Amino acid sequence: MTIEFHQVSKRFDNGIDGLRDVSATFEEGSMTFLTGHSGAGKSTFLKLLLCLERPTRGQVLVNGVNVTQLKPSRLPHYRRNLGAVFQDHHLLAHRSVFDNVAIPLRVVGMRERDLAKRVRAALSAVGLLERDAMSPGALSTGEQQRVGIARAVASRPKILLADEPTGNLDPGLSRSIMGLFEQFNQVGPTVIVASHDVSLIEAMDHRIIELSNGSILRDEEYAGDRASFESGVESA
Amino acid sequence: MARNKLRDPWPRARWSASGWVQENRRIGGEAVAFLSMRLGTSLLVWLLVGIALALPAGLYLLQVNLTEMTASWEGRPGLSIYFRHGSGDAALALSDALTARAEVALVVVTSSEQALADFRANTSLGDTLTLLDDNPLPASLRATLVPGAGVADLERLAEFARVAPGADEVVVEKTWLERITILSSVVRRLGMILAVLFGVGAVLVTSTSVRLAIEARLEELRVLKLVGATDRQLRRPFLYFGALYGVGGGLVAAMLISFGLLVIESPLENLLGSYDQTLEISGFGGAFLVTLLTTGGLLGIIGALLAVRQRLRHLRIL
Ligand SMILES: Nc1ncnc2c1ncn2[C@@H]1O[C@H](COP(=O)(O)OP(=O)(O)OP(=O)(O)O)[C@@H](O)[C@H]1O
Ligand SMILES: [Mg+2]
Repeated sequence: MTIEFHQVSKRFDNGIDGLRDVSATFEEGSMTFLTGHSGAGKSTFLKLLLCLERPTRGQVLVNGVNVTQLKPSRLPHYRRNLGAVFQDHHLLAHRSVFDNVAIPLRVVGMRERDLAKRVRAALSAVGLLERDAMSPGALSTGEQQRVGIARAVASRPKILLADEPTGNLDPGLSRSIMGLFEQFNQVGPTVIVASHDVSLIEAMDHRIIELSNGSILRDEEYAGDRASFESGVESA
Repeated sequence: MARNKLRDPWPRARWSASGWVQENRRIGGEAVAFLSMRLGTSLLVWLLVGIALALPAGLYLLQVNLTEMTASWEGRPGLSIYFRHGSGDAALALSDALTARAEVALVVVTSSEQALADFRANTSLGDTLTLLDDNPLPASLRATLVPGAGVADLERLAEFARVAPGADEVVVEKTWLERITILSSVVRRLGMILAVLFGVGAVLVTSTSVRLAIEARLEELRVLKLVGATDRQLRRPFLYFGALYGVGGGLVAAMLISFGLLVIESPLENLLGSYDQTLEISGFGGAFLVTLLTTGGLLGIIGALLAVRQRLRHLRIL
C-alpha cells in the first residue's frame, strides 16, 4: 500500500512537538529506514501510521484514505493490514510462542488448520520453528525479538512497521534481523523500520529518512554511493 | 478528501457461522481454563453471587408456597353462627339457605342436644351441666367456604347470616386466611426489594471480579487491539467470565436453597402434621432452576459489560 504523509504535525498535550510539518511518500513495496536522535519523532511517526495517536495537523493517507479520520469502528479493520514490531516486543508470557504468533490470525478468524500452517511458516522464516511450544520467557532476547517479528508478518500485512527492532541486540544479530525485514519486503509489503543504528542502516541499500526535532533533516533514496560514507562512520 | 469515498479498502470481514463457532469455542474453553486456574477466587465469586441469588429466590419460593397454602388450607375460613335459645328450626333454615350459595362448600349444623353430648364426651365438666334443668348450649352452624373464596366473600356471608332470624352471634374465622394473605404479600414485597438489592450486589461482585480479570490481561488486550481486534472481540472473553460467574452463582444458589429446604423440612412437617397437612414444597422445579441459572447468567453478563465498558473505553495500546 502507498503511504503519504501530508504536512503532518503532532503536538502532544504537554506542548512538545513530536512531528513538525512532515511530508513524505512511501511507494507500495518500498523499504525505508527512519532514523534520528533520541526524541527526534521516529516512534511518533509510526504511531500516527498505526492510528495510536492522531496528528494535530495534516493528513496520513494510506492508499488514498486519510486514516487519521477513520471512525473507531473502522480502525480494527485498517489495523489488520499492518504488522508492527517493537523493541519491547509485547509478547504474552503466559502463552506459547505458537499462540503468540497466532494472535493476529485468530483475530481475523482464520481456520485453525490454515492458521497452523501460517504460524509455522512465519516461525521457520525467523528460524524458530522448533521453539513453538516454549514460553517466550524461556527464550533469549534475540529469539523473543524474532518471535515478535514472526507475529507481525504471520498475517501477511500490507504494511510492516518496526520501532527499534534491534534495540539491545549485538551487531551480528541486528544485521540478521534487518536482513529479515529486507527478506519480507521482497514478498510485497511496504516496510518502514525506525532505528538509530546509523552504521547498520547505512550499510543497507534502502531509503533513509532522518528526523531531527520532529522535522525531516534528510530524505535520501539509496543511490549506491554510501560505501564511502559507511567506511567514514566506521573509522570515526 | 474525495478519494475517500471511492472505495472501502478495509472491508469488514464477512461473518461466517463456522468462524463464529470456532472463536466462541476457543474463547469459552479459555474462559473455563482461566476460572479453574484461579479456582479460589472463582469459588468465592460463585458463593457471593449464590448467596445474593438464594435469598430473593428463597423468599419467592416461600411466597409461592404461602399462596398455595391459603388455597389448600384444610381449616379453610368459615363462619360459626350461634343461635338464640330454642331456635333449632332457624338453624336448619339458614343451613339450607347457605348451602345454596356458590361460595359455601359445606354446612354442618350442631343442635343444642348434640352440643351437650359433645361437651359431655369431651370434658370432665359434663356432669356439672346435668345439675341444670335446661340445656344452656345453643344450636350452632358452621359453614366452610369453597377453595379460592376470599376475605370479601366471607364478610358478605357474615352480613347475610347476622340478619337471619334466630341468629345470635356470628363468628368469622378468617384470621388464618388474613394472616397468610398479609404474610405472603409482605414476603412478596420483601422478596422484590431483596431481589433488586441483591441483584445489584451480584452485578457488582461479577463486575469487580471481571475488572480484576481485565487488569490481569491488559497486555493481551493491548496486543489484540494493536493487531486489529474489534471491541466486540476484546469484550467476548469477559462476557464469558461474567456468564460463568453468574451461572455458577445460580447453581450455588440452587444448592443453598435445597439445603435450606432440607433443614426446614422436618420441623415444617411436624408443624403441618398438627394441622393435618402434608408437606409439599411447590415451585422448586425445572422452570425455577432454569430461571435461577438464566438470571444468574444475565446478571453476570451485565456485571461484565459494566466492567468492560469502564476499562476498555480508554485502553491505550502503547
Ligand atoms: N505521549 C507523549 N506525550 C508527550 N510527549 C511525547 C509523547 N510521546 C512522545 N513525546 C515526545 O515527543 C518527542 C518525540 O518522541 P518519539 O518517541 O517519537 O522519539 P523517538 O525518535 O522515537 O526517540 P527514541 O529514539 O528515543 O525512541 C519526544 O520529545 C518525546 O518526549
Ligand atoms: Mg522511539
